[in-house]
Amino acid sequence: MNIQFKKGVLDLCVLALTAREDRYGYELAVVISSKFEVAVGSVYPLLTRLTLEGYFSSYLRESREGPPRKYYKLTPLGRDHLNELIEEWRSFTVSVDQLIKEGIG
Amino acid sequence: MTQEQFLKKLKEQMKSIPEPLRSEWIFDYEEHFRRAMEDGLAEEQIANELGDPRQLAKEMLLVYRVNQAESSNGRIAPVSKAVIATVGLGFFNLVFVLAPYLVLLALLLGCWAAAFASVLGALTAVYEGLFGGGLTLIQSIFAALALLGLGMLLAAFSRWLTRAVSKMTLQYLKFNSRVMKVKKR
Repeated sequence: MNIQFKKGVLDLCVLALTAREDRYGYELAVVISSKFEVAVGSVYPLLTRLTLEGYFSSYLRESREGPPRKYYKLTPLGRDHLNELIEEWRSFTVSVDQLIKEGIG
Repeated sequence: MTQEQFLKKLKEQMKSIPEPLRSEWIFDYEEHFRRAMEDGLAEEQIANELGDPRQLAKEMLLVYRVNQAESSNGRIAPVSKAVIATVGLGFFNLVFVLAPYLVLLALLLGCWAAAFASVLGALTAVYEGLFGGGLTLIQSIFAALALLGLGMLLAAFSRWLTRAVSKMTLQYLKFNSRVMKVKKR
């Protein structure tokens, strides 16, 4: 998929992954980069941006295996933003599907 | 590249990000190395999968600059810094971000210069009326008032335009920063 198209969608995916439970930063980086053709490391700037924009809060949680781990939690603002993005995405895919049907039949 | 080399390059490029943000953002990568090594990956491989540290650091600098500019309420200096951070990300931005921005800055400078010139003109008119021979005192007072009014109007307009340019530029940068990404190697 085209890179330019992807980045807006990445925001949506990262926010969606944290909707039900708080996520470990490393886990988010690995999952996102395995689904899309982006470098693992570029997920972190995305997380920092979403945190600065107030959509995430982060905290450290103790782990059994060693040093504490950084978790990302969706804020109420983040949840609203996520819902907006999902709505946009749905109407977008509906339009695309319609056009494909019209074109291909 | 080893973990040490990767982190060193990252830190070098992130110098202009203040603490504690800088350490916090670098911590993400340190933790990533630690965690990935627990999974049995080699340092070299982890660094390779993470992507180019210089480019990653530039992206984070842009995130920081845009955030600073947003909270500065339309001032031009933080917006200019954000523009420069964007330009650091690649050639495309030199042409499509920096060039239009410089044109807008020149326009702003022109407006402010016109406002300043009008006020200066008002002072000159008063001086002419008092000490020169070209104008009577009444004429000079009218001319000075007209020029002062024009100057104030131009200043108010310049101020409004400066804020508008700041906000618009920032919107454009944000839009742009969403479409750029470090590619997988």
